[in-house]
Amino acid sequence: MTTKRAVREVFGFFFSLGRRTGKTRVFALLGLVPVILAVVLRVVLHGRSGDIAAVFTEILMVFFLQFYIVILALFYGTSVAAEEVEGRTLSYLITRPVPKPAIILGKYAAYSLLMFLMVAVSLALSFFIMNAARLGDARLYLTFLSYLGVLGLGILAYTAFFTFLGTLLKKAILVGLVFGFGWENVIQYFPGSTQRFSVVHFLKSLLPYRPMGGGGGGLALLLFRLEPTAPLVAVMILAVIAGVFLALACGVFRTKEYLYEE
Amino acid sequence: MATIREKGYSHWAGTLCERRYPWWPITRTGIRLAFRKKAFKFVFAMAFVPSFFFLASIYISERLEDFKALVRSREALISVTPKYFNEFFTLPFFLFLIILVLAFAAAGLISDDLKHNSLQLYFSRPLHKKDYLLGKMSVVFFFVLIITALPGLVFIIFKLIFAGSFKFFLDYPWLPLSILGYSAFLAVFFAFYVLLLSASSKNTRYVTILIFATYFFSDILFGILYETFRKPAMALFSIRANLQQVGAFLFGQKPRYAVPAVWSFIVLAGICVLSAVILSRKTRSVEVIK
Amino acid sequence: MTAVIAASNLSKYYGNVLGLNEVSLDIESGITGLLGPNGAGKSTFMKLITGQMKPNIGHVTVRGRKAWNNPAVFRDIGFCPENDVFYEDMTGLEFVAGLLRFYGYSASEIKERAAKALDIVELTKDKDRLIRGYSRGMRQRVKFAQAIAHDPEIVILDEPLNGLDPLGKRKFIKLIKEFKSQGRTVLVSSHVLPEIEALTSRVVLIHQGKILAQGDIPYIRELIEAHPHMISVRSSDPRALAARFIGDRSIQKMSFGADGRTFVVETHKRDDFFGRLTGAVLEGGIEVEEISSPDDNLQAVFEYLVGK
Repeated sequence: MTTKRAVREVFGFFFSLGRRTGKTRVFALLGLVPVILAVVLRVVLHGRSGDIAAVFTEILMVFFLQFYIVILALFYGTSVAAEEVEGRTLSYLITRPVPKPAIILGKYAAYSLLMFLMVAVSLALSFFIMNAARLGDARLYLTFLSYLGVLGLGILAYTAFFTFLGTLLKKAILVGLVFGFGWENVIQYFPGSTQRFSVVHFLKSLLPYRPMGGGGGGLALLLFRLEPTAPLVAVMILAVIAGVFLALACGVFRTKEYLYEE
Repeated sequence: MATIREKGYSHWAGTLCERRYPWWPITRTGIRLAFRKKAFKFVFAMAFVPSFFFLASIYISERLEDFKALVRSREALISVTPKYFNEFFTLPFFLFLIILVLAFAAAGLISDDLKHNSLQLYFSRPLHKKDYLLGKMSVVFFFVLIITALPGLVFIIFKLIFAGSFKFFLDYPWLPLSILGYSAFLAVFFAFYVLLLSASSKNTRYVTILIFATYFFSDILFGILYETFRKPAMALFSIRANLQQVGAFLFGQKPRYAVPAVWSFIVLAGICVLSAVILSRKTRSVEVIK
Repeated sequence: MTAVIAASNLSKYYGNVLGLNEVSLDIESGITGLLGPNGAGKSTFMKLITGQMKPNIGHVTVRGRKAWNNPAVFRDIGFCPENDVFYEDMTGLEFVAGLLRFYGYSASEIKERAAKALDIVELTKDKDRLIRGYSRGMRQRVKFAQAIAHDPEIVILDEPLNGLDPLGKRKFIKLIKEFKSQGRTVLVSSHVLPEIEALTSRVVLIHQGKILAQGDIPYIRELIEAHPHMISVRSSDPRALAARFIGDRSIQKMSFGADGRTFVVETHKRDDFFGRLTGAVLEGGIEVEEISSPDDNLQAVFEYLVGK
């Protein structure tokens, strides 16, 4: 079986399995929070489109970018390898005629798609509820796609990094939490080049500075001290981050022995 | 046939002494297991870093002349009063470190028992549910009190030593009680909080994420709602903000948010009650399969 | 005969603990039992030959190919792990069919093979139930099904009879023997001696990471020259029969059964004893009801070797 085919089969197996687990349902429910907030805010801020646009960006930036995709990527990313070792189901996978990197790549792809779907549904519902008055505006859809693209890239980059941590470390989740909620939350506000040592900096660089319809006061905190990187460079760096950490994860998984805890 | 006595066995005529603290072995084991993890020892040590900084500040506050060049305009900041203690105990980074320590030490307290079907082993012994839960909670009490009450009391002692007089204690005689009270409050709250999440899944990795996610999510929700509605009552959505409100109340300080501290106390107490109800249902020796 | 699985000077360390110590072994087609107490190194050996671990010293090959990081070798191998773990959110059919995807079969072939494997293990009726709801025996069977669904030439079973009731064990043993009759190679590990004896006469005895002995049970028994053979004779007048052997110097020990009808001798010269027994029976006119060798079984062989 070719590696490409193997990746596809692993993807199919884990996408089908991942969809039905209880944890996926919990994370999907978590994605309803911005939707509920969107409904509440729409009612409260009815008629004030400037406020609505600014508030939505605040929700997007804070909830999706600095919480939701990080939590999702942390759980699913570390699960790529750690779940099999902790659950002792690794034996079923590595005694099949599939290359070990295909297992990592296939599972990564499956979980990334799963996360992307959860984020996309949540983002779409909350975005279009908040902008219900302007559904005829074609630019609105472009804005939505750009937000979705940013979150998609964020999922790919974060998940690749956490996948690597999961293949390498036993306590990957704690290192991941310190990185995701410690390092990322602090470094992004450092002046100069230092802030470029965070994934969220490049994601924020890709977002539009002003929300649709003016305003932008809501962005003040999140874009505080942001010295944005050029969008094309930001996309390339995110792609490189994803590629490098995935390659490292494949390399580690291929050569490491995983012993079950007795 | 020889009697039992001749064979060297004699019946013991004493009274069987029941263990007075049946929860103690559970606590002892939980603490030992936590310290077996190498990474935990590092994290536990890191949790004392803020304490060292605050202790150093106490020293500097008594030696302002020597450190004048360093402090200059910051003299007002190094004034050791109940506000100083409140700042220490409600520092967001400090609360984050407590969460981190508990994620390492306590995430698996109940989830591992659920995973390995150990509850049947526990309850087939003369152990009540309350002993089991108290034993598990005491693990959390231990770690939280060591990180909070111990440094707090040490600060007072060193303040008195550095000052060379009891003036500080005479000015604020209630301060040690505030420290102990707030530490106990944190210990009880975090015990209920962590055990509630630990009992929610057999997967310790997932529980660890839940411990952080719930804490941070509550903060983010507060941020979003506050930015939108600009109402201080939104602080009630945040676990961190509520803990800070209660801390300010116990240290006699003005709360950060214009919300009565009693509301924060009610919210946190509500979480504890919810946790108690769920824990009571989850921890049973027989698993009901539907 | 070419060895299907060949291990040469195989050693595996877990830190400072030696899991396997210089194991050199050839496993040929048919059923081979890997026998040893808990912690002997059986699972370690199985994990090495299934490429789940890398040897520290030596090498192991399956049909001439190394197992570590060589996915192609798994086309011919079916592995049934010891652990009772599954993807619990799947049904039996989904589990077996899902793992069949990794062999490159078409969708229809996957369906056919999965159904066939589940039929062999008698799980057709419960194939659409979640594994979470399966009994212990069903879980063992579905584990076996995933190991055989792709028709492997070599089947490696790590403690497959664990947790099964006696009827379940009998069914399993029958299944495994059927596999052998199809010309496949089966390696079965167990720490329960009668289970191995019921499956095969060809065993590898392992203890504390070392191979104690390998071959047919009677052959291994013959090797243990240090220990005399035990022969039990049941007759109508055991004492009269026994009296005829008192002066025989080749008899090491003689004892009588509690039932008063048997006497047991220990002797290094078994064939001589049988010859003289025949003569004694004819001369004395004593009726012999049964002759057996109580120690010609795996338990005794293992105890002798471990105690050696």
